[in-house]
Amino acid sequence: MVAQMIEGWNLVIGIEIHAQVSSKSKLFSSSPTDFGSKPNSQVSLIDAAMPGMLPVINKFCIEQAVKSGIGLNAKINKKSIFDRKNYFYQDLPQGYQISQYKDPIVGEGFVEIETENGQKKIGVERLHLEQDAGKSLHDQDPNFTFVDLNRSGIALMEIVSKPDMNSPEEAVEYVRKVRSILRYLGTCDGNMEQGSLRADVNVSVNKPGNELGTRCEIKNLNSFKFIHAAIVYEAKRQIKLIEQGDSVNQETRLFNTQSGETRSMRSKEDAHDYRYFPDPDLLPLTLDDDWIKGLQDSIPELPDQIKERLINEYSLSSYDANIIVSDKATSEYFEDVVNNRNPKLVTTWVTGELFSILNKKNLIIEDSPITSKKLGELVDNIENGKISNRQAKEVLEEMCESGKGALEIIDEKGLSQISDEKEIESLVDNVLNSNPENVKKYKNGKDKLFGFFVGEAMKLSKGKANPKIVNDLIKKKLSQ
Amino acid sequence: MEFDKKSLLKLGKLARISISDDKLNSLSKDLNSILEFVDQLKEIKTNQVDPTSNSLNQKLEVRDDKVITKNNAEDILENAPEKEMDFFVVPKVIE
Repeated sequence: MVAQMIEGWNLVIGIEIHAQVSSKSKLFSSSPTDFGSKPNSQVSLIDAAMPGMLPVINKFCIEQAVKSGIGLNAKINKKSIFDRKNYFYQDLPQGYQISQYKDPIVGEGFVEIETENGQKKIGVERLHLEQDAGKSLHDQDPNFTFVDLNRSGIALMEIVSKPDMNSPEEAVEYVRKVRSILRYLGTCDGNMEQGSLRADVNVSVNKPGNELGTRCEIKNLNSFKFIHAAIVYEAKRQIKLIEQGDSVNQETRLFNTQSGETRSMRSKEDAHDYRYFPDPDLLPLTLDDDWIKGLQDSIPELPDQIKERLINEYSLSSYDANIIVSDKATSEYFEDVVNNRNPKLVTTWVTGELFSILNKKNLIIEDSPITSKKLGELVDNIENGKISNRQAKEVLEEMCESGKGALEIIDEKGLSQISDEKEIESLVDNVLNSNPENVKKYKNGKDKLFGFFVGEAMKLSKGKANPKIVNDLIKKKLSQ
Repeated sequence: MEFDKKSLLKLGKLARISISDDKLNSLSKDLNSILEFVDQLKEIKTNQVDPTSNSLNQKLEVRDDKVITKNNAEDILENAPEKEMDFFVVPKVIE
């Protein structure tokens, strides 16, 4: 659909991700950062910008920014500077945001994403530390806006991409990948619903070979679905304008999640003039080589590396490996289960059956009622032939409901599969002997009756016979 | 650098400070004399010097990631001209 819409047009997309540092306290004050607290209950005199208050930087936040930079294959700048970005808004008590302008803590890097046409490298321009603003509520009163400063001063990492993405799908993949890297590193929890990770998306369109079009920025998108929808809408809007002979205004736009449309947020004459200058309250931030080296050594295995290892160690397909490493909890779960078991079987049961149950229950894997140990037990019973795949699905559902172990359920329900050939042979003989007519017909060419014999034998075993052995034996007997 | 009335009005607007017409002349005169004074710095050759963002020869002080501030809502809201349900209340802002 998207490809059709933009036929004959190039789409150019750059993204700014705001990722909240997973710190207990704020960037420049010792206030807590808990989500969903009472309004203005996490505000220090610094966050409220009382006169005479001085910011003191949180060491942990510096570390997380550098770790994230390493995870994004980026240059770590040994000297960076905090600047004041000046603007007037009711949720910014200081009248300026402390941010980093010309000298960010992290410079150029890249991430690799999977696209329809294989791997693609997306450039990262920079990562810098800055303060979050407070929250304005416009819908509480017809005449007033309500302000909660709990978020004010929380540490954000702003990650700016190069304009390297050319489709909504690539944009979504990029955000997914950055989020996944940050979650593996533990530098940001990536919770988009709670606003821990938001994206501002810059979109422009042009005809191939022509110079770049004018871009619009769509602010504050907090789900993959919205990122995709906002880009599609915005690209269509711009193409329509140009095809009508109008031009695109460079502006900031908001995405309406209800209508799926974007609308202009700030008019042109109000164009912001941030008058950046170095914050006189803060000295330049300098990092030494040994300290950076120490952090480099502490970086855990990241999704790209784990993916490669899964492919090599367990012969997983690139597709399966990608699904497994997309989330840290999933890859840990998978590796717990796969240990000494059949990787193919484990992949099916984790990414297929378990995921579908979790989806149905709207659960994430961290909250799975079926632990990796319990799923392992189930897989063991499939592998040793005690239960069939079909029975295993039943057991898995029961495990999810009751929290009981696989073996317990198998015993309780008397599910265990009959794999004893002698026992099955007597079942098969029984079926063939009591249906001589059908055996005759089959031997005269009515192949379809094969299924009938299998069905009867299974029925006779109350569904417990190993279907493969039943099949093999019937085939053998009928060809005699 | 010359600070004209137009820049002065723009600056006032950005800072949300209204400047009355009768103040325009005297204010821009004052600001211009400050800028002229600072302009003397241009006489120094600095093309061999790294930009200085701070004149102190010290390292940035850091602190541990510890929560010390407790719920201050009452104190924080005490100075607010308007408040309701622990929120600051300001004139409607529409974007």
